[in-house]
Amino acid sequence: MTAEPLTTRSLVTGAHEDFPTKPAGRRRNRRWIGRVVLNLALTLGALTMVVPFIWMIATSLKSPAELAEFPPTFLPKVWEWSNYPEALQAAPFATYFRNSFIISASHTIITLIFAAMAGYSLARIRFRGRELVFLGFVAMLMIPTYTKIVPQFLLVKFMPLFGGNDILGQGGSGWLNTWWALIIPGGLSATAIFLFRQFYLSLPTELAEAARIDGLSEFRIFSRIYTPLIKPAIATVALLTFQESWNNFLWPLLVTTRDDLRVIQVGLAVFQQLDGTQWQYLMAGTTMATIPMVLLFLFCQKYFIQGFTNAGIK
Amino acid sequence: MTATRTPDVPRTLDPRQPPPIPRRAASKRAARKSGLFGWLMVAPAVFHIGLWTAIPVLATIALSFTDYDIFDAPAWIGLDNYVEIFQDPVFGQATWNTIVYTFWTVPASMAIAMVIAVALNQNLRLRTWFRTAFFLPQVTATVAIAMVWLWIFNPQQGLLNGILSVVGIPGQAWLADPEWALPSVILVGAWQGIGIKMLIYIAALQNVDPSLYEAAAVDGAGPIRKFFAITVPMLKPATFFVLIISIIGAFQVFDQIYVLTDGGPANSTTMMTYEVYRSAFQNFEMGMASAQSVLLFLMLLVMTVIGRRATKGDEG
Repeated sequence: MTAEPLTTRSLVTGAHEDFPTKPAGRRRNRRWIGRVVLNLALTLGALTMVVPFIWMIATSLKSPAELAEFPPTFLPKVWEWSNYPEALQAAPFATYFRNSFIISASHTIITLIFAAMAGYSLARIRFRGRELVFLGFVAMLMIPTYTKIVPQFLLVKFMPLFGGNDILGQGGSGWLNTWWALIIPGGLSATAIFLFRQFYLSLPTELAEAARIDGLSEFRIFSRIYTPLIKPAIATVALLTFQESWNNFLWPLLVTTRDDLRVIQVGLAVFQQLDGTQWQYLMAGTTMATIPMVLLFLFCQKYFIQGFTNAGIK
Repeated sequence: MTATRTPDVPRTLDPRQPPPIPRRAASKRAARKSGLFGWLMVAPAVFHIGLWTAIPVLATIALSFTDYDIFDAPAWIGLDNYVEIFQDPVFGQATWNTIVYTFWTVPASMAIAMVIAVALNQNLRLRTWFRTAFFLPQVTATVAIAMVWLWIFNPQQGLLNGILSVVGIPGQAWLADPEWALPSVILVGAWQGIGIKMLIYIAALQNVDPSLYEAAAVDGAGPIRKFFAITVPMLKPATFFVLIISIIGAFQVFDQIYVLTDGGPANSTTMMTYEVYRSAFQNFEMGMASAQSVLLFLMLLVMTVIGRRATKGDEG
């Protein structure tokens, strides 16, 4: 019995051949070969995932002359760093970037405050109609974006007393081409409320009882006792909200036409339609749109993964 | 003041328990006060979700029976929109494309994701790196990703034709060819979506009881047998979860269509969502768009029920 002890991992995958009848050397050999094949296959798969990103960055640093070559070079022969300042000149990517940041940050703040309050209430406070409210939110989880987008657009367009509209919402453009339309409708999601409820439910009730005996108000029990305990969950919801908002395309496309209100994703699509042949600038813009999310993901992977496995968003 | 009011209210962890009947006047008052607090806490969310989700859903259903172009008041036309949709070959094509797209980006990708998850569940030195790489496309914006693929698929200078020319295979005009456009779009969707499926499977694999594999090993089962006899059945609940969220995601494919093909060539890549978008925001037929989106929702419901049958089996 020279074989290593069975580990959980090897058992789960069944990769561990542990038949005592086979000669140990052959067994080790086969395992070694299996490992190499597995690593090679996974490397190939991982490369398939990463190569488009490298190709994006490589393209953003090439000269137009090099881009015209076929077959294309993979890495640039001359690294044209000036493509980036030139891209910022070619389209207002800096403005797009700022707009995306403002909207994503606003969505995150709104979600953290109001979804946490609602989640806490649904998890920890007894009140008449709570079950109904909760079921309502769960039903809303199922609604696809496209089944609400038309009336949402109409609500924005006919928002009373905004953008030249009268009290009945007629005559003007309402919230179209305003920050309101970009920030308010997407500010809160049933998913975030649902996640917060789950997180608060996982905490013990005794804490609240002890705090009440100490004379804390109900709101302080929520804000000072329970909420600090779900900090990792808050990070998860914040990151998911920020990412979702940063990557959102359809809604900003529908409600804005002004260049100074465009978000980065819409800005990219518009730039591609107008200057579709300037690939070095387009890829520079795409790199700028991508890098913040990639960095955020790399540094906060734990929270992202926790959130995605819990919510399965997207 | 607050100290006296709650200890006599029994609390349970189960949220489905009805509120207990208060025994004294003081606790009745306390319950009313806590009820008010509960409502105040949840009110902003109820208002927001009500206004921006619940009302729009009902409005979509109502509008689907009307002819409405935003400028004039909606006119009630009964089921005319639905009749028109069923006679519309483009919407039929869009429905079929959505189903084909869903088939390749959901069940087919799930199978690959499951294999990757099983492989990554082993003690590999580069495990975290592999996982990060597979998950990277998931956190990136679909528009940005589609932009990169648009360039990869470029017939003249794109990476794909470049690689093929090195191997000696003639390149294609991927996105401009009605034969290749849908497979190209599917490739992008599958490539982007594999990470989340893999991740959920990895999480589920942590909960599989190792003694099952031990028992199978004693019975002489090989790795492939173990995979099909233990891993696949044990991952059934996770499979159901992945299937549902993936179907919902796949049915709402829009961003990459917008960037890559604009639904063309010859409607070969148009999707149900894309037709909703065109009806509402290019043709300003809000009633028609609503009817199309109601059908989209109904199909999603049907798919969810079928998915539930297929993966849950006897667990119901």
